[in-house]
Amino acid sequence: MTENSIAMTILIFLGVAIIMVPLGKKLGLSSVIGYLLGGILIGPFCLQFTGRDAEDIMHASELGVIMLLFLVGLELEPQKLWQIRKRILGLGLSQMLLSIVGIFIVFYVAGFGLQKSFIISLCFAMSSTAIVLQTLKEKNLFRTVSGESSFSILLFQDIAVIPILALLPFLSKSQKAITQSDHEKVLLHFIPEWLQPFTVIGAVLALILLGRYIFIPFLRFVSRSGLNELLTAASLFLVIGVSELMISIGLSPALGAFIAGVMLANSEFRHELESNIDPFKGLLLAVFFVSVGATINFDIIASKPGFIFSAAFIVLAIKAVVLFGIGKYYKMNNEQSFFLAFALSQVGEFAFVLINFSASLYLIDYQANSELMAIVAITMCISPLLLIFKEKILDKRFIKEKSEENVELGIIKQRKIIIVGFGYFGSTVGRLLKANGIRSTVLDNDPDRVALLRSNGFNVYYGDATKPALLRSAGIEDAELLVICLDDPEKNKFLVDYAKENYPNIKIFVRAKNRLDAYEFLNKKVDNIYRETLGTAVDMAVDILKENGMRKYTARRMGKRFMIIDKAMTRRLAKEKAKNMITFTLRETLEREAELLALDSISFEENHWSGDDDEDK
Amino acid sequence: MKKTLVLFAHPYFEHSTTNVRLLECYENMPNVTFRDLYEDYPDFHIQPFRERKRIVEYERIIFHFPIIWFGLPPLLKLWIDEVFDMRWISEGQLNILSGKDALIITSVGGSEGNYTKEGKYKTSAEELLTGLRVSLDINNIELKKTHIIYNADNLDEKQLDVFCEELSEILKIE
Repeated sequence: MTENSIAMTILIFLGVAIIMVPLGKKLGLSSVIGYLLGGILIGPFCLQFTGRDAEDIMHASELGVIMLLFLVGLELEPQKLWQIRKRILGLGLSQMLLSIVGIFIVFYVAGFGLQKSFIISLCFAMSSTAIVLQTLKEKNLFRTVSGESSFSILLFQDIAVIPILALLPFLSKSQKAITQSDHEKVLLHFIPEWLQPFTVIGAVLALILLGRYIFIPFLRFVSRSGLNELLTAASLFLVIGVSELMISIGLSPALGAFIAGVMLANSEFRHELESNIDPFKGLLLAVFFVSVGATINFDIIASKPGFIFSAAFIVLAIKAVVLFGIGKYYKMNNEQSFFLAFALSQVGEFAFVLINFSASLYLIDYQANSELMAIVAITMCISPLLLIFKEKILDKRFIKEKSEENVELGIIKQRKIIIVGFGYFGSTVGRLLKANGIRSTVLDNDPDRVALLRSNGFNVYYGDATKPALLRSAGIEDAELLVICLDDPEKNKFLVDYAKENYPNIKIFVRAKNRLDAYEFLNKKVDNIYRETLGTAVDMAVDILKENGMRKYTARRMGKRFMIIDKAMTRRLAKEKAKNMITFTLRETLEREAELLALDSISFEENHWSGDDDEDK
Repeated sequence: MKKTLVLFAHPYFEHSTTNVRLLECYENMPNVTFRDLYEDYPDFHIQPFRERKRIVEYERIIFHFPIIWFGLPPLLKLWIDEVFDMRWISEGQLNILSGKDALIITSVGGSEGNYTKEGKYKTSAEELLTGLRVSLDINNIELKKTHIIYNADNLDEKQLDVFCEELSEILKIE
């Protein structure tokens, strides 16, 4: 079945992912293991659904890794990146150097020769961005000490790939190899030789400028069209465009995507971009992991099982020891250091790139290439198991330290409030909060208003909040308050239903047009309902009472009393009608109004007015 | 322990240190209902009927507040104004408050020496509570104890411990 079309292969990949991942989840495994197992299952050594093209697909789906880094970049604002620069450098550099030295010594002693050992150690010092970030996301560890340290190390590795890729051709004595390696770097040829080392800095600067002066105006322009699919297209265009640009000048596309993400992290499109890219990323990453599983060459493993497995375990052990040591040196507790050691000890997908590249430079032969690839794949498969081992066994011993894990580092301060809709109503809410120093994440779908508010320092993002993906990327999962202020009652109701169903613990504050809206929200079990027609109308009536000669204090008290009664009454009527409520006809509305008026005349009496005790708030 | 209602009124509670500690004494006490008036009525719109219905159930009321500008916090005064009814104290009328007892727990910023005839304020703290005391008396509520904590803005942890223990003892008065 090697003659499958690419589409057919992708179909098989996705199919096995759909089956294996839920199965893995049932067994308490992370999705990564599910994907890898799925890959092995359909690979040439099990069911033989895929042929050599699995590798091609792996390359294609590396775009998933690029998108992942773009998304990670979106989460990190430039200032915050600057704040953790020392961590990135310290943790990253020490991890890379120590791992390289450790692995180099072992392979050199094992008789691999100076150059080969060096290349192997370079490749194997890398960890898997895809696996680790996926794990961090699944376990929600991004903002913990260990999560942030892992991220710093990964970021440093991603940057380190660039000089390593540049260095490898010089190790090769073959002139042909050098020209071949330059073959793809089209744009680089136009730059004079002495300037080439500066391309990295130049490219980064160019991206920063692009981000500031091209991307954001471009997205604003697109968003004005009001078509959601156009913005999705624009998001993909941006990510793929940046990575292609980076490839064409010979830099790591992942780094380019990351920088582009960071540059856009400050923009109002952050959450919209996240929600647009996220599904593609998920899909491509899934395909990527499956293809890793499918490319494991069991023939090679079977021919030298002792060597392959012992090499894999030695590499894992060296990296884990180095990471644990670094964790301890940076004053992390045992639990955090163990996490670091186990999460980052695998060899990453960059190793695939580096190994293939080295092979193309004739630095290593085909046999060694396959062996190394097998070792990488094995470490990738083992590392999720290591984390399970850590969680199930080690954590029990360090359970006391666990609570410290959740201490926020202050890198990304999560706002706990999401305000949906920032028109006349929502903006009043947001302004009062802001005046008191309470920060909130605001979602609105008017691009001009969003731009205006942002320039005034509001934390506003563009997008259609009735799309669950946007809410998710705005962080509804850990938000505590959801403030719904859209003008359209149907959209508000949709949001309430969605939030109640998916995030039962979030506290909802909702804007209601009138009493009828309020009945519906009450029956949806929302407690905090704000009728836009109540307060203002009562204020007006209070002023009219004053005009009629009532003392102002008395008038105010009467207004207050009226509000309390009205709210209590609305609750009661909503309860009574909850059973047979489908929709309100005009007649019904009138009936209710009549009921209300009748109740008014009784309940305004001094000792009758507050109704049931627990209803009068 | 008597069924007790604690009426706590403090307009600037977020700046308080002493009262934050003292309130801990009410935690986990059997038969004690704690009410923070400034939380219940942030807009000063007291609901007298609800208050009256509730107050019937209690045998003891604890008024716990800081003295501010030599008087009761305004919301506590308003609470009394709205909830207590002049008709209750006229001849032959049923008074729902009659027979209950009360404690007053209050804190002041100044030292005990300031609150003397010869001191800075020339008035004792007890005198400042006269209005409340008379209101209780006329409603036939027996005032069991008035507990005044001086220097409330400058107490260290040790002193606070002592005051907490004192308060806990006072709460045991039958």
